[in-house]
Amino acid sequence: MTQEFKVVGKPLPRVDGYSKVTGQAEFTVDVDLPGMLHGKILRSPHPHARILNINTCAAESLPGVKAVITGRDTADMRYAFVDTPRYPADEYPLAQDKVRYIGDELAAVAAVDLETAQQALDLIQVEYEILPAVFDPFEAMHPDAPTVHDTQYEGRSIWEEWGAQKTRRSEAHETVNNVSGRTVITYGEPDEAFASAYHVREDHFETSSTAHCALEPHAAVAHVDPNGQLHMWLSTMGIYYKRYVIAKVLKMSTSQVRLHKVYVGGAFGGKMDVFPYEFCSAILARKSGRPVKIELTREETFTTTRIRFPTYIDIKTGVTREGKILAQHIRTVVNNGAFMGTGPVVIFLFHGWTAPVYSVRNMRYEGVSVWTNTPVGGPQRGHGAPQIRFAIDSQLDMIAEDLGIDPAEMMLKNVRRIGDVLPNGDVLNSCGLTDCIAQAVDVSGWKKKRGESGSNRAERSNGTKRRGVGISTTTMISGAPYYPFASAGIVKLDDDGSATLISGVVEMGQGAETTLAMVAAEELGISLTDIRIVAGDTEQTPVDMGSFLSGGALVTGDAVRLAAADAKKQLLEIASERLDTLVEELEINDGTVCVRGRPDRCMTFGEVVRYSIKENGQPIIGRGSRKILTAAEHYPSLAKGTGRWTDAYGFNAQVAEVEVDTETGQVTLVRATTFHDCGQPLNPQIVDGQVYGCVSTGQGQALTEELIFENGRVLNSTFADYRLPTILETPESAGEAVDSYEPAGPFGAKEVGEGVIAQTLAAIANAVYNAVGVRITSLPITPEKVLAGLEEQRNG
Amino acid sequence: MKLLVSLNVNGQTYDLAVAPQRTLLEVLRENVRLTGTKCGCDDGDCGACTVLLDGVPVTSCLVLAVDGQDKAITTIEGLAVDGELHPLQQAFIDYGALQCGFCTPGLILAAKYLLEQNPNPTDEEIRFGLAGNLCRCTGYVQVLEAVAACRVNDGAAVQESK
Repeated sequence: MTQEFKVVGKPLPRVDGYSKVTGQAEFTVDVDLPGMLHGKILRSPHPHARILNINTCAAESLPGVKAVITGRDTADMRYAFVDTPRYPADEYPLAQDKVRYIGDELAAVAAVDLETAQQALDLIQVEYEILPAVFDPFEAMHPDAPTVHDTQYEGRSIWEEWGAQKTRRSEAHETVNNVSGRTVITYGEPDEAFASAYHVREDHFETSSTAHCALEPHAAVAHVDPNGQLHMWLSTMGIYYKRYVIAKVLKMSTSQVRLHKVYVGGAFGGKMDVFPYEFCSAILARKSGRPVKIELTREETFTTTRIRFPTYIDIKTGVTREGKILAQHIRTVVNNGAFMGTGPVVIFLFHGWTAPVYSVRNMRYEGVSVWTNTPVGGPQRGHGAPQIRFAIDSQLDMIAEDLGIDPAEMMLKNVRRIGDVLPNGDVLNSCGLTDCIAQAVDVSGWKKKRGESGSNRAERSNGTKRRGVGISTTTMISGAPYYPFASAGIVKLDDDGSATLISGVVEMGQGAETTLAMVAAEELGISLTDIRIVAGDTEQTPVDMGSFLSGGALVTGDAVRLAAADAKKQLLEIASERLDTLVEELEINDGTVCVRGRPDRCMTFGEVVRYSIKENGQPIIGRGSRKILTAAEHYPSLAKGTGRWTDAYGFNAQVAEVEVDTETGQVTLVRATTFHDCGQPLNPQIVDGQVYGCVSTGQGQALTEELIFENGRVLNSTFADYRLPTILETPESAGEAVDSYEPAGPFGAKEVGEGVIAQTLAAIANAVYNAVGVRITSLPITPEKVLAGLEEQRNG
Repeated sequence: MKLLVSLNVNGQTYDLAVAPQRTLLEVLRENVRLTGTKCGCDDGDCGACTVLLDGVPVTSCLVLAVDGQDKAITTIEGLAVDGELHPLQQAFIDYGALQCGFCTPGLILAAKYLLEQNPNPTDEEIRFGLAGNLCRCTGYVQVLEAVAACRVNDGAAVQESK
């Protein structure tokens, strides 16, 4: 669908560009308040230990120390991202009975400077009873393994006033040691379908723990004003979500907590949870009566915030002779670490990223999340999609080879199309998967590079540098029902004809401020430079779903469009009164309202606003809002996968071309050809940036990124030892958005910026196989694994 | 004990009393209050704290403030002249070479040095010149485009096409 736009669809420069290239943009770490103290956190050096005693006397009497807190100060503050009757919250800002991983928070201090705070930490004496620890999720499920949470957590969920159930609705599964969550989803008749399949394969895949690596380390500033209001500046992705959790846990009214606007220096899912250091900054500020800043070190950011879940995946797939998928049985196990994090969510999401891509009528899915004494898993760009898409599309490549068909052709036989209804009831009103695959194949030179048959048996070049191509696909939601369930926007017209957009959105690099301002400008009929934006402050802006769950474009974007439409409606009504004509006779062009066909009968926006204020005493203020999912109960069932989930899915396909050095095992991503369906791109330059960023992170996670553990300790918690891509590894990029229009989104827009990461892993793995015939089923694809595969090949 | 140090930052002199173990990064941010220079790792690995010391890029987290004495220090705040952006700053905006903006000051300063040393670097030379600056958001593609656009020859081409 082609629509003519004046602002939307143009590669306009970012509204935050000037402040960021001049160093003026303020991040949490830059906030400096009068009298501000510096906080530090005492962390467990043991993976599992009972706390027998904590003595803080010496620390408290150190000159310059203004407050010290321990688990005693947080005993009634249980919380977690998942907090339901089935999955009761399992975290406290500071440890109570036990420490459960290396880095677990024990105590916090606030002092006049960092050095004093550090000295105070050294003076805190902790007596431990060391307990046996467990690090592997399969060992953890054994009945004799140490139990990470041996406490029964009961009591209220903080979400009850928002409709969360007070009691568990369905029967619990059998209790298994250390199992924190379980998802079981079945539809169709998998057993019969497997029995009738021409070919059935079963394969096992493993993925590594990876780190978000936002360049801004985590930080929090807290200050309690004389009226008792708590002011906070946080590394956050959603101000309303964090405000609610912080207020509830600290037993405050929500409006007694205010989050102030700061720019966020990258998040990638890692700044969504509420963290102990954030609560500690607030509790220390309350106790000391002074502002407190806590900045985590890079090592703390690597090890004590959140990581991507290391995942074990078994897939059994049955297909027809032609490659149509008849049935799948997928089993996943994730290690969620010492606390649930989003363990019970990600095992639901694995299925969530499966159903929208290939149409599989017969499915059995089982996911299990497991507590161990390791760092905690949480959302990370794609949230489960990289793991499951790696497994599914690696296996698809293997099946295609078994059948002697082209994997891209096999994908095309199975992909979803417009109008498909997913098992949970979600409807695909836009779906460009077929176009994404076809264009990625075309532009990448797939046919030529794979050989005419497209099969993996195409002749491979000799020599020590071998090229190969691989393909993968993926999907991502455009917002899902979660607190606060909606976004709203306000558009205020000024008497010079410009406008202020007021939105609760957080700018963390994704370009939300620019994109939303463009939506407002397009709807109003003025230029982007005529829009100012007030964002990211709970006191000054309306409710916002947050910059997670990938609903920024569709949900918040539509709220902003509706707010601008409301302002425009008021403007036209006033202009019709003044110009003495019907609203229908008016048209807007570049900030001016005219009677259609009468350039002599016009008013500028400024003139309309001035007239309205002067004559009627009425300024023009538009408001709009959008519920995240128009027709849904509050939460889909994590345990059963039932319930609608999103209004629209974004889709992607990528062909990766790699070069494998058979002497060193080194894999280089040479070229990534990515076609994606984000509906109408709102700002193609920002969309491109999202795609490039995803490809880069996907490349890192496919090839080099892996947190290495030894007895629960992270051995590579620096950028020197944890290798994310540098500019040297940047691949050639090709591809663009396919022609698509999402009816539920503003101007046809939907998700971009999260899904793309997920297909890079299997695309690279399949390309490595195509290049040298080595199938790597565990990430990352290190030179050691490639060399071992080549060695095995030589030994026959 | 503190030492007296006189730092010349962006052409302005700051007389400061600083503890000898304080890094240039800390003193720039906390004493001089120029917070455009960012701390991404405090290990010299990420390049977010890059400043120019007598025109040469250094990771300011690895330089002691007292070693900045008698040297010209340029931070990101010193690049724009009378509100007019340096061509690299403008190019970063024009090419969408920034997202969260946390690594941007360091990248721009590293690129400035690169182009001063070699006004017409090849694409490969640009990559090597910026290899010490990590960015997680952009995947570097638009960063490469922005810096390439500031090569003297490319700049001339841009002028001609106008």
